[in-house]
Amino acid sequence: MPFIMILYYIICVYLISMVVWNFIREKKNPEYFFHYLLVLIPLILRVLRVK
Amino acid sequence: MSREWMIKIVLIVLLAAGTTLAGIQLFRQRHFDVPMVAGPGVTRTAKLSDYSPGLKGTMADTTVFFLEGNEEGGKALIMANTHSNEPASLLAALIFLENAVVEKGTLIIIPQFNNSGGRNTRPGDGYPLYFEIPTDWGSKKFRLGNRDASPLDQWPDPDVYIHYPDKQLLSFIDVRNTNRTWPGRADGPLMEQVTFGAMEIMRQENVDIAFDIHGAETMFPVTNCIVAPEKSARMATMASLTVKAREGFDNHVEPSPSGFRGLSHREIGDYSDTLPFLLEAPIPFLDQPTGPKTEKFLLDGKDPFLLKLAKAKMLFVPYDESGWPMDKRVGQHCSVVLEIMRQYSRKKPERAIEVSHVPRYAQVVQNGTGSYYHDPSKADPDKVFLN
Amino acid sequence: MNVSEKRFLDYPEIQYVKWGQVENMYAQIGIIAFVMVIAYTVAKWKKLSVETSMFAAALAGGIAGAFVKTPPIGQLARHMVEGAFTYLDVMLVFSTATIFMAVISEFGGVDYVVRGTIKTFYNKRILALLILMFIILIPGALTGAGSVSVLVVGAPTVMALRYLGIPEKKVAAILFIVAGLSAAAPPVNIWAMMLCAGTAIPYVGFELPLAVPVLLLGTFTMLFLGWKREEKKELADILNQMPEVPKKMSWWRIALPFFVFFGLVAAVRIWPFSLPIIGLPLQFMVATLAAFLVSPKKVNLLVISRDTIKRLLPLLTTIVVVGMLQQVMTATGVRGLISFAVISTPLVLLFISLAIIIPFSEGVLTYGAAAIIGIPLIWFLDSIGFHATVAIAGLTLLWPLGDGLPPTALIGRLSVMVSEHKGSYWSFLKNTWVPWIVITITGILMVVFSSKLEFLVRWSM
Ligand SMILES: [Zn+2]
Repeated sequence: MPFIMILYYIICVYLISMVVWNFIREKKNPEYFFHYLLVLIPLILRVLRVK
Repeated sequence: MSREWMIKIVLIVLLAAGTTLAGIQLFRQRHFDVPMVAGPGVTRTAKLSDYSPGLKGTMADTTVFFLEGNEEGGKALIMANTHSNEPASLLAALIFLENAVVEKGTLIIIPQFNNSGGRNTRPGDGYPLYFEIPTDWGSKKFRLGNRDASPLDQWPDPDVYIHYPDKQLLSFIDVRNTNRTWPGRADGPLMEQVTFGAMEIMRQENVDIAFDIHGAETMFPVTNCIVAPEKSARMATMASLTVKAREGFDNHVEPSPSGFRGLSHREIGDYSDTLPFLLEAPIPFLDQPTGPKTEKFLLDGKDPFLLKLAKAKMLFVPYDESGWPMDKRVGQHCSVVLEIMRQYSRKKPERAIEVSHVPRYAQVVQNGTGSYYHDPSKADPDKVFLN
Repeated sequence: MNVSEKRFLDYPEIQYVKWGQVENMYAQIGIIAFVMVIAYTVAKWKKLSVETSMFAAALAGGIAGAFVKTPPIGQLARHMVEGAFTYLDVMLVFSTATIFMAVISEFGGVDYVVRGTIKTFYNKRILALLILMFIILIPGALTGAGSVSVLVVGAPTVMALRYLGIPEKKVAAILFIVAGLSAAAPPVNIWAMMLCAGTAIPYVGFELPLAVPVLLLGTFTMLFLGWKREEKKELADILNQMPEVPKKMSWWRIALPFFVFFGLVAAVRIWPFSLPIIGLPLQFMVATLAAFLVSPKKVNLLVISRDTIKRLLPLLTTIVVVGMLQQVMTATGVRGLISFAVISTPLVLLFISLAIIIPFSEGVLTYGAAAIIGIPLIWFLDSIGFHATVAIAGLTLLWPLGDGLPPTALIGRLSVMVSEHKGSYWSFLKNTWVPWIVITITGILMVVFSSKLEFLVRWSM
């Protein structure tokens, strides 16, 4: 895999960890729980090289 | 457990279930292989990476079939699935691959030219993942791919695509479009390596004529036609007139615009001695104003919205209640390819390419595309290629 | 009968097509569209957010469609998830651009620039306004995303405009309109690129047809909304009010990260064949690292990133959900119906209705709207003698206006957020009406007179 593509997977993993961190810290609004999870869908499937 | 985590876990489970299901379906589509039965004419195969080494081990690598006749002659190259959401091209190429007998000259076939695009889907456009063509022995299943290569194979996109070598600016999306990345280069983005591989085949094998088979929207002015640069225009015109007179279908000639770079019909001619022809048949499925994008619509081309627009004279092809069945489109491609090869052979007898056992338009329409495909489970395993 | 025809006969899953009866298709798709609207309305009525309501609309539309197998129920999850990928790259650009700017802002860079601008240009109002206009135009022009302009330079320009005595509601309006224009501005105009890719036209000759109207309209907007100094403030007072900047701050610490970013963007353009494709997200990440290294005070990159994602959550969710919505709308035929309705409108009426159709479709589908309406429209106009490049340029002036309209309101919501506008969303939008109308008329006239303006394309090349 080209070097730059690897960096993009690293950017994705970094963003995933930030979203997950926020998801864990979010205590009140159930809608936000839901929104964080929605944002994770494409990021995680990309990192898993599904889509 | 706290209420907060109860909600969180319920949401995780629900979304994970849907995502896993979808993920499996998408993953399977990407890794689904179409069995192709090499016909009596196939003498050897190669990989595109043999001509463009950077492709080795990537999903963009694809099989190249050589059908060499006993007698020396000219060489023709057929490329299909340059855009994998225009499947009439692949279906026509497979008819050649599984049936053609080459008497003179060589036929080279790349049935799934943009293999990465064929293993991609088109987000936002709601296509089915597969389509099936009925045959005498059951139905043959194909992936429905995308116009562009998968980002899993080529990522990221630039902010604007700068065409090599002309520096013309093209849309960022077109960096993954193998009908914009011609003539390509050995160390460019992956799709430039794909087109470079084809250029190398044409240069190393001294290919005389090349076909790049496509489909185009009925609302697109350049549809149902042969696109040809100046040097192939005469032959295209002859072929167009002949199929009209003998076989009764329209397929006019469009000049290849010289100011628009990256297209096969432009760059192949400019960067090799090969004469390029780009074939377009209508594909109503790709039009914007249509009903749901179903497998049936992909295959029969029937849509009431397009019918209404046709009555308002807003389509560029004749369109009526019969739609545009796949067999008609595949048959057109077969006939036009055969006709151009015949015209070329007549003009340059020493470089003739003589091919038999390939049906023409009327036969494909009468018998159905699928009747020309062979059952891979009954074929000699050495003859079955997965791609 | 051949094998293919037999297959069509025993196609059990399609129940709706009584061939030739357009009304059936209308009714079926109309019902699905209605279900989507109802789902959205009920969700909003239950006080759910815009994003959740749009998700509900997409899901409900998909379920309604599944009754007639468009799409089959087993494919619904796949369609939703596949749709979520439509704008993945846009998500990455938004996230990385905002993290970059958050670092600059955190170490005091923003305050420093604003202080400098106000100090130098306080008494040269027109010049100050025009400089601020360019500052807003550049990031969006380079990335093609007006939201990036708002996120990257919105905060400092808002402050500067406020110090110039412009009330906060007008500041938000300026930011929204000019950021929208920045998205349309050359060299990168994503709507134009999508239309070019979809209609098979090279992305060439757009420089002047885009730059001329963008600069004229931008100047008009700045002067119209910012001319009057409504709140009198003395320069000395203003400078006192401004936040302190760290002692070690200097101009090069701010310039360097921007230099890295613009340098990377420019380098790829200058040596396209010797450099690999880097892409905007990585360019922003490298610039972020540069900012992190030259920061005059210690900044916690992880915490800044975390808080940025939190702030961006509505935007990121919107982008994901819009993709899902778009995919479901196509799979059910709703998208095609909209496209059909627009394309079959008589030409004169169509030109007038573009003023409404384009912004509203953008408001629902963001970039997706360009393909649905734009592609068939451009082919049609081209075939009856309009100049495609100028017509596309004209249309792309209208799309960014839709980024102020709900449900998505991408740029509008960000402008309100960054300018800390206190009133309702509509009280902000009201202030944009004069530039809005001027831009609309300009865009439509460009389409109508596209063949007469063809010289702009020629002069660009
Ligand atoms: Zn094509």
